[in-house]
Amino acid sequence: MRTVKKPETYDAIIIGSGMTGGWAAKELTEKGLKVLVLEAGRPIEPDRDYVEHVPITEMKFRGMNDRRETLKDQPIQRTCYACDEWASKFFVKDTENPYTTDPDKPFAWIRGRQVGGKSILWARQSYRWSDLDFEANVREGMGADWPIRYADIEPWYNYVEEFAGITGQAEGLPQLPDGHFLPPMEMNCAEIVVKEAMARQFARERVMTIGRSAVLTQTHNGRAACHYCGPCHRGCITQSYFSSVNATLPVAEKTGRLTLRPYSVVPSLTFDQQTRRVTGVKVIDGQTHKVMEFHGRIIFLCASALESTRILLNSATPEFSTGLANSSGELGRNET
Amino acid sequence: MERREALRLMGAVSVFSALSSDLFAATLRAQLAANQAGTLRTLSPAQNDIVVAMSDLMIPATGTPGAKAAKVNEFIDLILTEWATEEERKIFLEGLAEADRRTNALFSHGFAAATGKEQAAIVQGFDEELAASRNEKLPEQIRSWEVTLLHPFFAQMRRLTIVGYYTSPIGQEQELKVEIIPGALHGCVPAKPEVNQ
Repeated sequence: MRTVKKPETYDAIIIGSGMTGGWAAKELTEKGLKVLVLEAGRPIEPDRDYVEHVPITEMKFRGMNDRRETLKDQPIQRTCYACDEWASKFFVKDTENPYTTDPDKPFAWIRGRQVGGKSILWARQSYRWSDLDFEANVREGMGADWPIRYADIEPWYNYVEEFAGITGQAEGLPQLPDGHFLPPMEMNCAEIVVKEAMARQFARERVMTIGRSAVLTQTHNGRAACHYCGPCHRGCITQSYFSSVNATLPVAEKTGRLTLRPYSVVPSLTFDQQTRRVTGVKVIDGQTHKVMEFHGRIIFLCASALESTRILLNSATPEFSTGLANSSGELGRNET
Repeated sequence: MERREALRLMGAVSVFSALSSDLFAATLRAQLAANQAGTLRTLSPAQNDIVVAMSDLMIPATGTPGAKAAKVNEFIDLILTEWATEEERKIFLEGLAEADRRTNALFSHGFAAATGKEQAAIVQGFDEELAASRNEKLPEQIRSWEVTLLHPFFAQMRRLTIVGYYTSPIGQEQELKVEIIPGALHGCVPAKPEVNQ
């Protein structure tokens, strides 16, 4: 993937190369836009960086993790199961990314700073919401009614899942809508026994179904079927689970309209007084610390819930003294 | 004796008395004949002898090599040196001294110099004490996600022996015959006793 040194103007700038940034890059480049993806972390080369097939015999602590090192550098990240002896390199160093919380409201902020972000590490379970979810708050008399229902979002579930590839068993349950699944993974013997016992006892009242996940059980859109090595969070050289590195970014790259710039830390956005639009993105190069700016017609904030919020808060102007998109004062609040 | 049989016996209460004295004698001879590892950083030669003997008592050579051949002692030394807290290390080393004390009291020599039967009696004592303490309230830390060695000595020793053995090249390749890339998922197939899974 190309890297750039000089400020340029793009049709679209996407901040973040993780799950949402990858999707935005794919969609926009496929529609003909010239796109710049800014990623704060380092590049990821699957051949070099993925470690899912490294045997436990080759790990110094044989899977017990470098306890002292992670206690020192990753005291928060290490609480995530995926931050193991192989994959801890896909998590930030907490020492380099400090934050504070209220003492009585601790929050484990699990973060991946690299091309692909946390999409390399996610747990891949993929379930559709139903109207039971979309209407839940209304039924309980809480807050304002959501403006969308399952019927509105179903085509988008289809669109995303068709590309990603979701394995699962169609069950026809109203509370858990089916997708167009790839073949389900087999249950093990104990699971089959439990499933059959539940079916006898509860019929359709209680249904046990195999997990639905973004793992390919057959070749799909040029990506190979899973080979069941197990530790997905360490990478997947066959691109068999869905991540931006495995799926969306390669498609965007293939269009020739993608520029991916790693080591690009975004402190803030530029608001243009004349056009009343966000027109630029400030970047500090993570390696040289050089400050630069890129311009684009559209800016996509895909830097994770908290980072995207931080960028907006840090983009305050004299006119918008509490940050961009924060006239309500609610930006960064009520996050759960 | 096959590995599965050895494990089955390990699970029985009378595990150590069930094993033949010949096997223990052979184990002891092999242990004494072997050179001490020169790379140990925490375990003294005398402590190492106890670790080697005790780990090999738990996972002896069967159809596949045992804990001694898998150099479980070197793994334990690494964990004690670069992983364990001072408190955990103290519990472990004190446990080794206790093993020697008990063997001396009963048999008038140290653990490493004891016969297989004598060693088995000592280890069985540790095992029974641990089993008896199983229902005691554990420190909060032990029940959380944290991997810790803040356990009684014998629990540490047993765990490190099992981890060290099954994550060694012998344990992975010869014993478990781990396939890094299975290629296919067979969720429910009949298991045959002689087939390695």
